[in-house]
Amino acid sequence: MQSLVRTHHGPHAQADSALTSNALTLTERTMRGVAVCSAAALVLFLSLPLVAMFWRLLRDGRGVTPEALATLREAMTLSLLTTAVAMAIVVITGVPLAFFLARRPFPGARLIDTLVDLPIVLPPAVAGIALLVAFGRNGMVGRWLATMGVTLGFTTAAVILAQVFVAAPFFVRAAKSGFQRVDMDLEEAAADLGATPLRTLRTVTLPMALPSLVAGAVLAWARALGEFGATIMFAGNFPGVTQTMPLAIYARFGAGDLTSALILSLVLLIASVVVLFGLRLLASRTATPVM
Amino acid sequence: MNAITRRAAAAALGLALLGAPLLGAAPARAQAPFDCPEPVAASPAAAAASPAPMTMDAAFPDGGGALTVFAAASLTDAFGEIKADLEAEHPGLAITYNFAGSQALVTQLAEGAEADVFASANNTQMKAAQEQDLISGDPVTFVRNQLVIVTPADNPAGIDAPDDLGASGLRLVLAQADVPVGRYAREAVCGMSEDTAAFGEDFVGRVAANVVSEEEDVRDVLTKVELGEADAGIVYVSDAYISGDQVQQIEIPADFNILATYPIAATAGGDAALGDAFIAYVLSDEGQATLADFGFDPVS
Repeated sequence: MQSLVRTHHGPHAQADSALTSNALTLTERTMRGVAVCSAAALVLFLSLPLVAMFWRLLRDGRGVTPEALATLREAMTLSLLTTAVAMAIVVITGVPLAFFLARRPFPGARLIDTLVDLPIVLPPAVAGIALLVAFGRNGMVGRWLATMGVTLGFTTAAVILAQVFVAAPFFVRAAKSGFQRVDMDLEEAAADLGATPLRTLRTVTLPMALPSLVAGAVLAWARALGEFGATIMFAGNFPGVTQTMPLAIYARFGAGDLTSALILSLVLLIASVVVLFGLRLLASRTATPVM
Repeated sequence: MNAITRRAAAAALGLALLGAPLLGAAPARAQAPFDCPEPVAASPAAAAASPAPMTMDAAFPDGGGALTVFAAASLTDAFGEIKADLEAEHPGLAITYNFAGSQALVTQLAEGAEADVFASANNTQMKAAQEQDLISGDPVTFVRNQLVIVTPADNPAGIDAPDDLGASGLRLVLAQADVPVGRYAREAVCGMSEDTAAFGEDFVGRVAANVVSEEEDVRDVLTKVELGEADAGIVYVSDAYISGDQVQQIEIPADFNILATYPIAATAGGDAALGDAFIAYVLSDEGQATLADFGFDPVS
């Protein structure tokens, strides 16, 4: 029956499909060519500056001076310390916030949602000014802190504040969507089986949201590591105290020491590559969209 | 339970780490005193005699053109006025400035940034530009500047003489040592430190311990002081002048002050006609008067 139908319709159908496929191939080829070229151009454009840094360093890098190494060590230590503390703060405060935003429609939730996202789109300079007028010595809160003998400006704490401000939204965003994806039926089942809400949270909700939490934390950490504008405006620039990696790069560049600036940049670049690969790996393992 | 303890531990750690720098309002800084090199680019103001600039005879071409000037950050306001005057006088002339620390400008020029004129805040950076063949012709000194200590308007640390810069716990902001004004400031402090009768033992060390931030250019130093974030900064007289009421000025005696000389030159590969015309204007009576209006020492 089937073969009969096929032989009956065969020649006509074949000719038809051949015609269409030929016509498509022509348009398709052109289109594909254009698409491949523009895609390749973008890849080239994105990778060229990174390659150029290696090229420049190899071409006329004056070698690693002891000063550059000292700067690198000091700035890297400070960057790792400050971002670690910033991440602890972001996670401790961000997990409950993300959970509430994901689960309970409370009054003002949408407003808070927007507010939390705001630092993502704010230019770093705006973040710097905002932090200054809030926590600077003459700032809204800073003025009051100063009367208690606490000044944030030019301290490591100021660096951490700047990092929390710019990085927290990345974590809250990812954590929120992680919590939203957790199947609430499973939580209900746990509750039906007699689990307390805390136990349900600990044994069901958190483990299921974990990949998103980790991905969010990694992204937030990367943002904190790269934080520059708000830091230089609010925390100043002093080696070992407020001079994080990005500030050290800017300072070396400003001092005309391109080689040191390049070396520091490449260290950050490699760190970023490792982070991104880690994220991809995490995404493919858990098969959940983490970004 | 386990998770909770772990979280509590993380919170405690976070707060402890955050609290450590918070609690010590002025964190202890293990800081080596400045290197006190022999002054290279500048000489003490008292002994200075700068040669009169050569007068240049270059007019702006008819029809104007696009002129790009790379200038030291301290020139921002004075050169802004010069731009307004020149553009009003010469229809079709469009001046674009790039203001930054002189050392950053040299880096930008070396990386191929296009400019017609380079105005540096010290001879060191001009020499650096010359050595990299970025300059055409001979640089000319077009203006001079001196240093002054600035504090916020309310002078929270109660500074009334230069030796107060060594007071413990002061928050002092300087430009970084590679920026001309940062270098001059360190030279001035080094000079004061030699006078132990007036400034006490280890003045350099005490001042260096008070530095809380090393800024990229003189305007960043000024901003930090204007905002009241820093107790004091060392800037050019011309910057303090523009700042007006926003800062208090504490003079640095001539014996220790530095006379910063600003050289200007046309750049290699720039538009020589436009560049020379701009330099001629800056050296003219009119240009010099504008610079004097902004607190600079004119050279003519």
